[in-house]
Amino acid sequence: MTASAAVRPAGTASSARTGPRFAVVGNPENRRVSLFTEAVRAAGLPAPRVVAWADVLRARGADFAADEFVRVDSPGENPEVDRLLRDATDPTRVEGSARWYTRFTAALRTLRGGIPLADPDDLAALFDKRACHAVLDSAGVPVPDSPTSGPHGARVHGWDDVRALMREHRMPRLFVKPAHGSSASGVLAVETAGGGRIRATTSVETGPDGALHNSLRVRRYHDERDVARIVDALAPDGLHLERWVPKASQAGRAADLRVVVVAGRATHAVVRTSRGPLTNLHLGGSRGDLDGVRRAVTAAGARWSDVLDVCERAASCFPRTLCVGVDLLPAVDWRRSFVGEVNAFGDLLPRLTGLPGSGAEGLDTYGAQVAAVLRAPAGSGPRHPYRTGTAHA
Amino acid sequence: MTIGEHLDALHGLPAFTFPGPGAPTDRLPEPDSVAWRLNSGVYGADEAWADTFARFRAAVDTNRVRALIIGAWGDAYDRAPTEIFEALVEARDAFPALRALFVGDLVMEECEISWIHQTDVAPLLNAYPALEEFGVRGGTGLEFTALRHGALRRLVAETGGLPVGVVRGIGASDLPALEHLDLWLGTPDYGGDSEAADLEPILSGARLPRLRQLALRNSEMQDAVAAAVAAAPVVERLEVLDLSMGVLTDEGAVALLSGQPLTHLKKLDLHHNYLSEAVAERIRQTLVAAGVEVDLDRDDADEDTEDDGTVWRYVAVGE
Repeated sequence: MTASAAVRPAGTASSARTGPRFAVVGNPENRRVSLFTEAVRAAGLPAPRVVAWADVLRARGADFAADEFVRVDSPGENPEVDRLLRDATDPTRVEGSARWYTRFTAALRTLRGGIPLADPDDLAALFDKRACHAVLDSAGVPVPDSPTSGPHGARVHGWDDVRALMREHRMPRLFVKPAHGSSASGVLAVETAGGGRIRATTSVETGPDGALHNSLRVRRYHDERDVARIVDALAPDGLHLERWVPKASQAGRAADLRVVVVAGRATHAVVRTSRGPLTNLHLGGSRGDLDGVRRAVTAAGARWSDVLDVCERAASCFPRTLCVGVDLLPAVDWRRSFVGEVNAFGDLLPRLTGLPGSGAEGLDTYGAQVAAVLRAPAGSGPRHPYRTGTAHA
Repeated sequence: MTIGEHLDALHGLPAFTFPGPGAPTDRLPEPDSVAWRLNSGVYGADEAWADTFARFRAAVDTNRVRALIIGAWGDAYDRAPTEIFEALVEARDAFPALRALFVGDLVMEECEISWIHQTDVAPLLNAYPALEEFGVRGGTGLEFTALRHGALRRLVAETGGLPVGVVRGIGASDLPALEHLDLWLGTPDYGGDSEAADLEPILSGARLPRLRQLALRNSEMQDAVAAAVAAAPVVERLEVLDLSMGVLTDEGAVALLSGQPLTHLKKLDLHHNYLSEAVAERIRQTLVAAGVEVDLDRDDADEDTEDDGTVWRYVAVGE
């Protein structure tokens, strides 16, 4: 495949323009792309050039003009792209995330030119939970204990390995996560006690042929053989284990936070609450009360600014990526928080406007990113050190 | 449903969690102004309970402590709080003002209710004869050796399954001051192996002369409980009757309505129920008209019907 076959930017030679221009690599039909397009237009700029993931994957790359800011968005929710990335013919299938990861990270490196708003190395770490955990941990960001952290962590080949690590690390309650999964896909919350008692909470169900599917219903498995079957099927794609941090609750429901950090600054936050251990909104989680969380944190003697600070520290581990979504787990007493995940595509929070004092008041997550690019010195990428600007109120 | 929230108060005092190891203890509330929650072995602060208790006793004038909440003790799903009970019994002289004690304030994220291990709570009650309020969460291993306690006004056992030994132990106890008894009977799946007949000593009221509020709830056999209550002598002295959170169907509710009059009650709590609208309406007609406050909220009582017609109904708090 030669470069001439690759997707080329239209109008590379055009010079007359009034402001920066954007390109977005995404699935054109996806609302993520339309929301970003709206945000660019709302800033008075021409609509971004949309480069379809399907085209990038088929043409083995795309070229961008030197002055184009290149946003990389999720390749998800598109059956053809899903097929190209992991040979999946059924989007609900859980397996294939290792293949997905290999092809996705390779595809990132075929995006040539432009000013990237997300860095391939950052994304490679963000889409490997074991690597991400190690990066955060070594930077002093509070994370749940994990025996599988980083390149030297234990590798898990099946349920027997999970059991061995649980014993070795005295970890009777833990989360088992596919190393390259997203949106709770393939995640199991596992509780064990003496006498062989076990319970796993997950959205995974096993088909008649043994294949694993994500469903929108959370299931509980009480038979270790069922849990083992699922974990054994997930293991070839790589697994990451984390000790279960008991989460704080709001109105009787377990709560965590999604905090979007743009250019080093925590700009948007939502509370997600659930009756079970998985708080994802598509699994029955619901939006909680952010003011209530601020009050609870303060009442517990902790500081809300410290909560946001943990998220900004986590984001600073990925300094060449403009925006990440941090999943923050407040521990039961609200006095401490741990970073559960950092999501490269964690900004899909339609219509949510920025936190007071964040500089993104009145802007959604996409508007905040456009504004951050406009604020930055001409032609520069997102490089943001930890602690830019003033502390949060 | 599960337990999602810690106690926010006990004995009318707001709950306050004693800070973990390393956290400052120089600006604590007045000892008698809060219900102190002691947690140990919690995530990221793996302190032994004895050490937490020692720090608490050093930082707080326990002579003035009125209410104590025992929260997490680490591995509660594997280990009964035996050591905690022993320490509290031994420290009884240091807590002359203690009037309320709750053991096992753990939420689902820490340990599901039916996974919490407990042990015999009678030694605690015997060691604190001035205690007015006692509560426990978790039924696994829970015991209640029959006792006499002259001060206890409120007794609560929250479980997904209350062992029959506890039901019988409470029934055989002399509790002359008890005004409020709240038992979550649960299901056999989680160790709730009592039958309605085991409730008879409680329902006779013979050893509970001051009982005003009775809750026999969260029961898989809620219909049988309701039928037993319908003819129970204790009912005439009650102000509040609570048969909520269980598998209460029309059968139990009709039995209840067919028994002695309930119009003297201030409140009848039947929330989380499987009643038909016709029977719910009968209850309203009979009792609301007589000035009884009735809670008939169906809440999250949802039936599952299998293909073969089998209907599954659930208590509010199980596992």
